[in-house]
Amino acid sequence: MASLRKHTRTGAVLASVAILGLGLSGCSPAADKSSSETKGVTITVALFTAPPPKAALAEFTKDTGIKVKWSTIDWDSLQTKIAASSAAKTYFADATDVDWSRVGQLGTLKWFEPLEDYLDTESYKKDMPQLDSFVSDGHVVGIPFDASFLTTTVNTEMFEKAGITTMPTTIAEYTADLEKLKSSGVAEHPLNIPFAAAEGLSTYWYQTTAAFGGTVLDGDGKPQFSDPDSAGYKAAEWMVNGVKSGLVPPGNINVSDTQGQQTLMAKGGVASTFADYSGNVGSLYDIPDTSSVVGKVTYLPTPGVDGVGPNVSNPDGIGIPVTAKYKEAAAKFIEWFTSQKAQYGFAGGEGPDNVFPGYFLPSRLSAIEQLTADGELAGGDVLTSILKDSARPVFPEGAPAWYPEFSRAVNTNLHAAAAGSMSVKDAMKAISDTADKLSSGS
Amino acid sequence: MNADTRVKNAPVVGPGGRAKLASPGAKRRGRFDILPYALVTPLALFIISLALIPALFTIVASFFKDQALNPPVRFNGFENFVNLFNDAGVLSSMGNTVIYVLVGVILSTVLAVFFAVILRKKFLGRSLLIAVLILPWALPGVVNGIIWSNIWDSNTGLVNSLLTSMHLIDTYQVFLGQNKFMTILAIEMVQVWQITPLSTLLVLASMQNIPDELYEAASLDGGSPWKVFWSVTLPLTAPGITIAMVQAVIATLNIFDQPYILNGAASTGASVTMQTYFISFQNLDFGQGYALSLIITIVTLVLSLGILKLVYRPVEY
Repeated sequence: MASLRKHTRTGAVLASVAILGLGLSGCSPAADKSSSETKGVTITVALFTAPPPKAALAEFTKDTGIKVKWSTIDWDSLQTKIAASSAAKTYFADATDVDWSRVGQLGTLKWFEPLEDYLDTESYKKDMPQLDSFVSDGHVVGIPFDASFLTTTVNTEMFEKAGITTMPTTIAEYTADLEKLKSSGVAEHPLNIPFAAAEGLSTYWYQTTAAFGGTVLDGDGKPQFSDPDSAGYKAAEWMVNGVKSGLVPPGNINVSDTQGQQTLMAKGGVASTFADYSGNVGSLYDIPDTSSVVGKVTYLPTPGVDGVGPNVSNPDGIGIPVTAKYKEAAAKFIEWFTSQKAQYGFAGGEGPDNVFPGYFLPSRLSAIEQLTADGELAGGDVLTSILKDSARPVFPEGAPAWYPEFSRAVNTNLHAAAAGSMSVKDAMKAISDTADKLSSGS
Repeated sequence: MNADTRVKNAPVVGPGGRAKLASPGAKRRGRFDILPYALVTPLALFIISLALIPALFTIVASFFKDQALNPPVRFNGFENFVNLFNDAGVLSSMGNTVIYVLVGVILSTVLAVFFAVILRKKFLGRSLLIAVLILPWALPGVVNGIIWSNIWDSNTGLVNSLLTSMHLIDTYQVFLGQNKFMTILAIEMVQVWQITPLSTLLVLASMQNIPDELYEAASLDGGSPWKVFWSVTLPLTAPGITIAMVQAVIATLNIFDQPYILNGAASTGASVTMQTYFISFQNLDFGQGYALSLIITIVTLVLSLGILKLVYRPVEY
């Protein structure tokens, strides 16, 4: 018995030591030297979307020998992980999201690899009009995989019911049409503006400001919307007046961008979204499972002050964190993921097996043109034309490094103005003061 | 049986007839036994490495200016704390959080005691009810937030639909984002819905320890159910209520998912932990983020100790 107890005791001590060893090895810093190996390696790709179809990924693995472990993480958590792992200099993924709004921050901090060192980014430029949105200090920190931009959508059936036969080309005509939709009783609240204090409200205002003929910040990050005659100020007034006049549903003060698109626009609750996401017609409004307005919503060249206005880009990109383990392999993945062939397949050009669920719009013009020519893209002609001629970055000089703080000031103050707890004048002043403070570095 | 033939560690009958174990080290006093230390060491190291060292790091780092966009890291004394208390957004979120804590702790505790009293008695389907009760607690905060955003939705929400069909309102109401107190109340309702199940189980566990004899004695003395509840049930459930209140304090002080999903970054509902997130991961001002985290930790400790002091009573039967 004594011998058995002794053995049990020794076993317990050894087990404890083993657990300790395991724990300590888990806590020790990982060997974070990156490898230029590609064949036979497994890379981690972290994005906010579901993974691409298995067939497409299998084809990539067959061609390159690189296996892909896909990690779907929601957008906010992804930004937190990128910041935390970069600040702590720890590995988290080999390729991950580079949002256009974070380019300034990521570029300044050098948290992402300059992709011109891995890919022929010069050759991408002519086929990817939105590549400029991912350039910081002359370095490409991400490659757009989705050509998202903001554009206007209208429910043509509701417009026709209200007796509107010619689509508006100016903001004045558009506003008059919305009033007609309301007064005729076709839609009690015809316009969708997502006034929840979130990024979707900020981008809506940037697009409306562009349509009013202006920009939000100049090249030095100075605010361009303090003057009541400025485009940004007028855009904010127009949006807030929309709530006050009843054009926008009162409940929209707490509706987010996707919520408004899914529960109002896709259900026929409103007749138009001034700053909608490109690709929504094909991926949301024309899908019978999620929409009751199938075939009724179309893209409208965004009305401007004197005619059709510009559209601001809102693309999603993919890049390589400096802490990645397999950078060369990640570059090969990005090359494939953003290739014309893959994008054409993701958008449905090669049949259902290669369709990427939730994929909006290819970032390559050649892919969009081919899809349009094949009749595979809803509103393809309008989207191609906008992407070629009208889409432009929100910040032509690149998003400032302090963009997230600025955007929060934009959406919280515009939300407060819509909720009636502050005036448009005070909201513009608060946003302007924030931009001044941030751009001066104080 | 004499002492020499007694088996080591065998139970013996002590004074009062209660069983107790003979002291294992009584005859081996002075001999060092490594086993207890070996068994405790992994857990101790786990706590030290995952709780104490990060806490210590946070305390030290909160006195440094650590801004990713403005290197290098340098000592700045109490500047992070001073800046926090001069930040209108942080002060507003502190005010909001006070309301979250007050509403959440009081409501979840009252509901927990109420449900525990109901569940204490055995009835058909009791086990099933307890299993169902635990569901909201098992759901992630984000999922709860999404579910409730559809319930509170001002355009298409369930609450508006119900109130309209019952003719209690004529037009759909805006519950979130317009009125600060209403917004916080609506958000905190979601959290109370989530934390009450655990609080109920904690209180119920404590309540079930109360011997039936005490209730029988109180009944024989002519005590009304209400009197029995105040004089027997509630005082003897104090340990469970204390733990439930402490976990409610921790949850409500750290509320994040619910206000972030239901009300975005708006000042009408932003909490202190949301500010920590904004400061640390959007502004990339880690020093100030550490400082705010430290404040939250200290407040949590003070409130928890306060509850222990005020509510906890040792119970002996």
